Amino acid sequence: MPLSEPITPGVVDWTGENPGILLKNDDGSFSAMALFFRVAWSKFGQGQMLLLYGTPDSAQGSDDAPNIILSDNAKLSDYLLESFVGELAVFRDAPAFKGLKHLVAQSIQTGGDPMSHRYSETISGEGTSVQLIWEDLESPRALELMPHQVGSRKHSMFSVLVPAQQASILVNGKPLAGKLGTRVQADVETTSAFLYFTETWIFPPEEL
Amino acid sequence: MTRISINPGRVDWSGENPGIYLKHKETDEAYCVLSLFFRVVMSPYGRGNAAIVLGSPDAAKGWPDETNFIITDNQRLMRWIVDGWVAKMPTFIGKAGLQHMSWLNLDSVHKTPGDLKTEYRETLRGSGVTLEMIWQDMGVPIPVEVTVENSATKEHEMYSVFLEAKSADIKVNGTSLPGSVQSRQFFGRTMSTAFLAFSETWVTPEETNK
Repeated sequence: MPLSEPITPGVVDWTGENPGILLKNDDGSFSAMALFFRVAWSKFGQGQMLLLYGTPDSAQGSDDAPNIILSDNAKLSDYLLESFVGELAVFRDAPAFKGLKHLVAQSIQTGGDPMSHRYSETISGEGTSVQLIWEDLESPRALELMPHQVGSRKHSMFSVLVPAQQASILVNGKPLAGKLGTRVQADVETTSAFLYFTETWIFPPEEL
Repeated sequence: MTRISINPGRVDWSGENPGIYLKHKETDEAYCVLSLFFRVVMSPYGRGNAAIVLGSPDAAKGWPDETNFIITDNQRLMRWIVDGWVAKMPTFIGKAGLQHMSWLNLDSVHKTPGDLKTEYRETLRGSGVTLEMIWQDMGVPIPVEVTVENSATKEHEMYSVFLEAKSADIKVNGTSLPGSVQSRQFFGRTMSTAFLAFSETWVTPEETNK
């Protein structure tokens, strides 16, 4: 619940949407990882970026399972990679992080309805099309997390989470291998496929 | 008050909800123009875009007799939001223009965000109307989290990121509506009557959600 002081102390880093899908192998390792960013405000303007590790344990990736960035704002994507994704250990420590190929996004389309059963983002550019599909969506929950509860460990974060019970990542129409797992956020177990709307990352005063 | 990580309330809708309120002169009590833009990304009634323009807030007439209209691509969603939120906001309570505004169909909406500092524009077209809402000279983003007691509806909690605009313009079919941006007391500080509002989420608290 909100605190009684209407204005949250701190400095906004960025705000927008940040859904993702993490698929796992049978041994628990990640088989594919995707994050999508639709940024409404940042110091580098608005923009959209897909981060895809089609082959997380390899820097190179493959044609069918590439390790790529698809972005319509290069400065913003560079910033997010260095200052945000680079602070998330699960992404930073994967070999794919060092071998990302940067592509220009030419088309980005949203489909479905996050309060119905299916939602999708389709990002295309330079001959590559990636579709993220979330299905069997749960009810939305508003989150208010402190630095010790988020991956970066230095932001407070407000967001609306919509967990998905099913999800898939398609590259040029072909699904990447793997299945959903579980994860824990704010002491609650949820799935590794998630929509995040109206997400705001704030540097609290003690981090400035 | 201790922060609760997972809000026990019901998320009603999320999206963007910037506005422009204009007065003829600073000493006027009433606004001569009230306008709000909506980009709703999640609600029980689906997604949608809309703008409300009351160019004659106290006139019980709609477009084209008066510049009082809402233009939207999701009427069901916006009737829910007008009844549940807009009509309860102090700026809009009891305004005849809100009750009698015309409901126009929206064919397209296009944003021109620029650098998010100099100028931000939303252009909406439909039903023979082209509406341009223009915010200029924006400040830094201000994160807000509002309790029921502090919220505009007095019924919801609200999260948002506000950017004040020092000036703004509303054009209907190329003609600017009268008035200018003023300051008002909001969230315990002096703020502009023109603002962008990103990442806005409205929540019905648990105790009224049973």
